[in-house]
Amino acid sequence: MKRLSYLALALITSASMAHASGELQLYNWGDYTNPELLAKFEAQTGIKVTITDYDSNDTALAKVQAGGHGFDLVVPSANYVPIWVSEGLIQPLDLSKLSNHGNIAPEWMNVTWDDGRKYSVPWQWGSTGVAVNVTAYSGDVNTSSIFLDPPAELIGKVNVTPEMNDVISLATMYVGGEPCTEDKEVLKKVRDLLVAAKPKWLSMDYGMTEKMAANDVMASVYWNGAIFRARLQNPNVKYGYPKEGYPLWMDSVALLSDAQNVEEAYKFMDFIMVPENAALVSAFARYANGISGSDPFMPADMKDAPEILIPDELKAAGHFLPTCSAEAQAFNTAIWTELQK
Amino acid sequence: MVRKEFSIAKLPGFSLIAVIVFVALYLPIMMLVIYSFNSGKSVAIWEGFSLQWYVKAWANEQVKEVTLRSVGLALSAATFSTIAATLAALGTTRRPAFKGQMAIFALINQPLMVPEIVTAVALLIFFGALKQFTGYQGMGYLVAAHTAFCIPFAYLPIQARLNGMDNTLETAAADLYGRSFQIFRRITLPLLMPGILAGFMLAFVTSLDDVVITLFVKSAGQDTLPTYMLAQIRRSITTEVNAISTVLLAATVLLLILFFILTKKKN
Repeated sequence: MKRLSYLALALITSASMAHASGELQLYNWGDYTNPELLAKFEAQTGIKVTITDYDSNDTALAKVQAGGHGFDLVVPSANYVPIWVSEGLIQPLDLSKLSNHGNIAPEWMNVTWDDGRKYSVPWQWGSTGVAVNVTAYSGDVNTSSIFLDPPAELIGKVNVTPEMNDVISLATMYVGGEPCTEDKEVLKKVRDLLVAAKPKWLSMDYGMTEKMAANDVMASVYWNGAIFRARLQNPNVKYGYPKEGYPLWMDSVALLSDAQNVEEAYKFMDFIMVPENAALVSAFARYANGISGSDPFMPADMKDAPEILIPDELKAAGHFLPTCSAEAQAFNTAIWTELQK
Repeated sequence: MVRKEFSIAKLPGFSLIAVIVFVALYLPIMMLVIYSFNSGKSVAIWEGFSLQWYVKAWANEQVKEVTLRSVGLALSAATFSTIAATLAALGTTRRPAFKGQMAIFALINQPLMVPEIVTAVALLIFFGALKQFTGYQGMGYLVAAHTAFCIPFAYLPIQARLNGMDNTLETAAADLYGRSFQIFRRITLPLLMPGILAGFMLAFVTSLDDVVITLFVKSAGQDTLPTYMLAQIRRSITTEVNAISTVLLAATVLLLILFFILTKKKN
């Protein structure tokens, strides 16, 4: 017993010294950070990066709001960045410390959630679309009707990822509305459409990289990078970009207002904007990165992947989801709750 | 004539229900163990036998780090909560019934009654303020939180053991002029040991698999194995997770066998 209490004491004291120099605390989505990237960063700068995982934007926000978290960098999604800014949780960047800031690709520089990239630098971006197994269905993949009005071959075989914003936005754009709309006519159509479609679904679940690859699920609403990995295991999996409109998303690295390792944090942000390193970021989670010049360093299998390169004719259908007003959010939640019953 | 004794095992459908229950309990776990030896990447397609996921998990620094942290945390929390629970059990049973006894029981067992998410949010806010005020963000918060919710799990077996032990031996020892501490040390504690061990194991396991409270209390660099696995699942469930789970499962089974042998000897 005595030995155990020593162990406990050692545990407590060792953790309290976590903020020695040369450390960086990265608060990021789980399974999203390439260990090779961190090893390279440590080799170059001597800074040891510790990752702590979160599983949703809301969890991350709640923990940082409560204070005393000890994190330096966080990686919120685009539609959450304005919330972090308006709550004063992240600080404006000193661009003079980011010599590679100019490497941000022009289309990712002046984004709606952070004009001129004054608060955040790109991490990874992708799309939420639909995927099908071509052995079950060989028609057009680039449409949300795959899950909103499934063709006969797919009835009872479709999965819908349980992501409220993505699913409701897909349905809203399908009926011709704008994501985060407060128009009750449109919302009613969205609600009716989803409620009518639900009996034709198989499940509302995550883990589709495995299930699509294993032929357990024949179609699913899912993220492009995850479907890319499924296709590498099972060539019959095909990703589609709904022409009626589909959500784009981007997660960006931001500096917390009460970060304790500010210099180290700037070094890390500058480091990931080097094209070669940005390619390392992509090589692990399999999403594009938003840094100019990273293409030559990308893994060969990603260079021409249809899940990563959006076809020109479907580019315009991709939309970043805005930050919904409280009222729109309440409507969406009501529809979502009904759908979950 | 011998009257037929009542036996649950002879009720109709007994074996059928027993088999269904065991299958429901253990089949998913068996699948998990089997697929941990899959040579392919998938948790759903069998591609042949291999130990590669064990090798990969072992080579994954983050997995090692979070596993060690989980075990260290569970050991500390189980130790502290077992000490507190032993004292509480002695205080509530080795004496005549007293006024407010039920209230004390309710207070001790509070973590069993209050929904975990409520405790978690309360701790998030309270510890958040405390972390800012003191500047200390170490593992102490997780140890404290885990100790608190593990107390009832350690308390219940210890209290049950005490209730099952009459105090004739202690009374005899007192008759022979044993001092209170001597009696406790030589009589009560050895007799109570199986209960304390059972309490410790329960507390250990409870702490080891906690997600909700840990998620809300953890500071930078304090992921435990369950929070690490939770964050993985949204992206992809890899066979590596199966391998880690299987190792944990084996460790738990070993622990239980050890515990069984230990208590068997004492009895």
